Amino acid sequence: MSPEILKLIWQATLDTLSMVAAAAGIGTLLGLPLGVFLATSKRGELFAAPALNAVLGVLVNATRSTPFIILVVAIIPFTRLIAGTSIGTAAAIVPLTVACIPFIARLIEGAVREVDQGLVEAARAMGATPVQIVRKVLVPEALPAIVLGLTLAVVSLIGFSAMVGAVGGGGLGDLGIRYGYQRFMPDVMATVVAVLIVLVQLVQSFGDRLARRLNKRLRHA
Amino acid sequence: MNAPVRPGALNLGAQPVPAPDPIIRFEQVGKTYPGRAGQQAVPALSGIDLAVPAGAIVGVIGRSGAGKSTLIRLVNGLERATAGRILIEGEDVTALNEAGWRRRRREIGMIFQHFNLLSSRTVFDNVALPLEIAGTPKAAIAAKVEKLLALVGLADKRERYPAELSGGQKQRVGIARALATDPKLLLCDEATSALDPETTQSILALLRQVNRDLGITILLITHEIPVIKEICDRVAVIEGGRIVEEGETFAVFTDPRHPTTARFVEAVTGVELPAHLKDRIRAEARPGDELVLRVTFTGANATAPVISRLSAVVGVDVNILAGRIDAIAGQPFGSLLVSVPARAPESEAVLGALRNLGLKAEVVGHVS
Repeated sequence: MSPEILKLIWQATLDTLSMVAAAAGIGTLLGLPLGVFLATSKRGELFAAPALNAVLGVLVNATRSTPFIILVVAIIPFTRLIAGTSIGTAAAIVPLTVACIPFIARLIEGAVREVDQGLVEAARAMGATPVQIVRKVLVPEALPAIVLGLTLAVVSLIGFSAMVGAVGGGGLGDLGIRYGYQRFMPDVMATVVAVLIVLVQLVQSFGDRLARRLNKRLRHA
Repeated sequence: MNAPVRPGALNLGAQPVPAPDPIIRFEQVGKTYPGRAGQQAVPALSGIDLAVPAGAIVGVIGRSGAGKSTLIRLVNGLERATAGRILIEGEDVTALNEAGWRRRRREIGMIFQHFNLLSSRTVFDNVALPLEIAGTPKAAIAAKVEKLLALVGLADKRERYPAELSGGQKQRVGIARALATDPKLLLCDEATSALDPETTQSILALLRQVNRDLGITILLITHEIPVIKEICDRVAVIEGGRIVEEGETFAVFTDPRHPTTARFVEAVTGVELPAHLKDRIRAEARPGDELVLRVTFTGANATAPVISRLSAVVGVDVNILAGRIDAIAGQPFGSLLVSVPARAPESEAVLGALRNLGLKAEVVGHVS
């Protein structure tokens, strides 16, 4: 491969990483509170608001059931509003983020629901406020599961990020399609796939190790 | 600490302050959960009258589903009463809103059957949690937690995680955590039900120590009658959401009035006939039979040499078939199965002598 191609691959890798990092970062920032709220707002729960819970649940499901490539096209006006353009790496961050917020929220909801209700009861018995219960009990206790969920979300984002190439977003997927497929450069395609595999492996093993370190439940004297 | 310090609040190391008024009073308290669509609402508790004297250890015993966990959760507002009043230190708490309850709860400790420790926090940080919630400054938290860990005998485990501890050690952490905000009242929800008998004993001993040395009133619920026998000054028996019997533990154990109570105390006060006699016992007497009596000793009598005195006074051979002598709420109690000749003059003399000695005797039957 020529140095120009290698440079392109390097640039595409950086683009993918920045898109995924930005989408995962913003997605977590918004998905975490949404997930905690979904897990604590049914009837009789800490922030009981059954109607709002139901509405948010439908919204989350609707976003998640829309195929990503259709979502990308459907929200182009919104993307333009936020990013000023609908083409390029920065613009691609918008649909990626929109797609991953409900995904992350559901993963976090599941992690928080796994926390033993006895701990919530104990914290209530200490006179904790609902916000204290979330900050001192639910999130710390769910943290290993949250980390695993976020790892899954980042891995999925790496896959999604390859699709935004279709609408002019940059990144490894875009490079693979344009050079590997459309210009018949199988070595570029193979390299792109290899880089993606390595990225996913790195993310997954980092997430697994972090979750294991955070999990204090499995230690024995 | 942000929580207001009340006059007479008990701190670690302080002497118990006797108070004439009960610390908790239930007045005709009821709790009904709303029924699901199409189903009728079922009352979990009804007509509960109960007083918990300050400084006492009061036990509520009942089978699962009897309503005891609802009852204990009414005291710290984890459940709300739907009828009647609950007074804590004279304050009607039934009218409290959630913020009022949060302040109240900081003065009430609670421990649980499954400990409910945070797996993500060390022993030290678990005990610190209620103080963090109350907004206590860091330095004060550290000093308090050290003191509590020493009290429960876990000073060397401060940096361990709950998963590294035994059940008994976890409950000790639970107790230290419950005492962190210097409560006047400790609620124990089946605190020893997940522990083996030996560990149960050590936890009960710790609870008694907490009660005596710190003057903390304890309300506990359990389905294990030995727990009541071991540490409770008073006991209430609950069945079907109602208190069917209540009183001083010793009185209730030695003279149960309700069949449910009788079944519970049977396990710790009852004495069974040996198997070879059980099949042969008859209600009616035949010539040459022995009369089988159940003799109950209470208080000072339990330690008196009653049997030898009986033989000496009446001149009848008393044959001991089975028996046990035990302590209930710290007072000795004994139950003996004996046999004496069933012939008229001797048996009359024995029963008369037992009555004179102030013992309770009942005829179980006759054996040849």
